[in-house]
Amino acid sequence: MKMTLYVAKNSIVHKSDPITKLTYCLVAAIVPYIIPNHLFAFVIMLLSISLLLLGKVFRKMIPIYILSLFLLITIVIIQGIFHPDNVTPLFMLGPITFYQEGLLIASLLIIRIINMLSAFGVVILTTQPDDLIEALVKKGMSPRIGYVIGSVLQIIPQMSSMVGTIMDAQRSRGLETEGKLSTRIKAFIPLIGPVIMNSLIATRERSIALEIRGFNSKRKKTFLRDEKEFLFGKPYQLLLILCFIGAIIWRIFQ
Amino acid sequence: MKKIIVDSLKYKYPGTDNLALNDISFEVEEGEIIGIVGKNGSGKTSLSLSLTGLIPHFFGGGYGGKVLVDGLEVRNSTVTEISERVGYVFDNPFSQMTAAKYTVYEEVAFGLENMGLPREEIKKRVDWSLQLLDLESIKEKYPFDLSGGQMQRVAIAGVIAMKPQILVLDEPTSQLDPEGSEEVFQVIQSLAQEGITILIVEHKLEKIAKFCDKILLLHEGQLIDFNHPQEVFSRDDLKDYGIMPPVFTRVCRALDIKNPLTGHYPVTLEEVTQLVKNHE
Ligand SMILES: Nc1ncnc2c1ncn2[C@@H]1O[C@H](COP(=O)(O)OP(=O)(O)OP(=O)(O)O)[C@@H](O)[C@H]1O
Ligand SMILES: [Mg+2]
Repeated sequence: MKMTLYVAKNSIVHKSDPITKLTYCLVAAIVPYIIPNHLFAFVIMLLSISLLLLGKVFRKMIPIYILSLFLLITIVIIQGIFHPDNVTPLFMLGPITFYQEGLLIASLLIIRIINMLSAFGVVILTTQPDDLIEALVKKGMSPRIGYVIGSVLQIIPQMSSMVGTIMDAQRSRGLETEGKLSTRIKAFIPLIGPVIMNSLIATRERSIALEIRGFNSKRKKTFLRDEKEFLFGKPYQLLLILCFIGAIIWRIFQ
Repeated sequence: MKKIIVDSLKYKYPGTDNLALNDISFEVEEGEIIGIVGKNGSGKTSLSLSLTGLIPHFFGGGYGGKVLVDGLEVRNSTVTEISERVGYVFDNPFSQMTAAKYTVYEEVAFGLENMGLPREEIKKRVDWSLQLLDLESIKEKYPFDLSGGQMQRVAIAGVIAMKPQILVLDEPTSQLDPEGSEEVFQVIQSLAQEGITILIVEHKLEKIAKFCDKILLLHEGQLIDFNHPQEVFSRDDLKDYGIMPPVFTRVCRALDIKNPLTGHYPVTLEEVTQLVKNHE
């Protein structure tokens, strides 16, 4: 079980530099807030979605869009009905009036949110976590922070491996752990204590195990994985940062 | 050549009054396999940790005497320095996985990346230790998907790849089933053949009687005996130290069969079989 969201596909987006993707994600998520223009935000959103399509991972995003639907509908209702700037009625649903101003604001918010989700999707779905962490550590991020991020991503498989072991032990002592949902829930409750205890012990023991394998070494670490040749490296990162700065300048002189 | 020299080692955990290790002295030659035995709380783990430098550097506490591993004085060296000479494997295979790597191969390479070795050297060493531990067929697997025995072998591989001169194992088979334990014992023997000095804490006395050169018997932090398995396991007062001699020794003691060559009760199945054969 590999509980990362990464989807292995062969695409130009997958082959792109993780740092460039991360930069894109941050710039694309923030710029529509700096430039509060519907058309502009919409174009950026289309760009993010095109990247998802290009990376062949758009379908993986659909559940996330659906999950966010609840939030989006709430925004439309609240802004459309109650926004203080509301003056121009647009349409009525039964006794409720929706106003143009509120709906315009709501639509900008919605575009920004979909854009942000999509931009994050581009990074998360098309980048191996190790590649991203390694790229960041090479950029000067502390290996400790890199380790923490990397291991947080593995908490779920770790836990389930541990639960499996404990469950085996409970089962060998005659506890029923399979069958009806109620049986399973009953079997789960006595697991909670041992799982928490074991996690605490494992954390202490793991810090010993890391130490003994030279994790605190002051030497320059080697990166085992072959230097992957990524597309769209530094120049593109610079370009993105320039766009970001450009947006800020535009905003100042507005 | 002396690989380990322990001289009047005394140690007390922080916040405790009793000495966990009380005036321990012994020496180990290169390539020897030493079995450490003693009942719960006798100081086996503490002694193991003091060879890795985790005592005193990680645990703190009161420390006296001297420990030299491969010529390096533990008290004056960092755990990182010592870790390149002394490998340490403990009972829980689960917590020895880094939890930051996605394949067995990368997991085993972790220590070598930290050592900053060239990439080619890392690959060579990882391949070597994967082969030694018979892990080649699962090198692409995700560590947390492995069985306990496999995980423990991965843990050993990760330590061995760093090519320590000395390997300390603290109950490496206590969480494994008989099959998994057997795998680990096989590995330890092949490592000894590679010339690595090995210290192993183990409760399965039948096993260590067979392949250890010497047994180190601890009791309440003190070194009671450090001698050949026959000598230690045929001591009359073994029960006082909470140790049950190997089953062969107990049977022979009950039947009063001694090995005429050593004058002791036999400790391994092989020794007993040999005696019986000679008798016929
Ligand atoms: N972290 C600690 N802090 C305080 N005291 C400790 C600590 N670890 C061990 N001790 C104490 O030190 C003594 C020796 O313990 P140690 O763990 O070395 O024994 P052991 O022979 O390995 O036992 P076991 O067979 O249970 O593993 C015991 O009295 C124990 O209570
Ligand atoms: Mg112990």
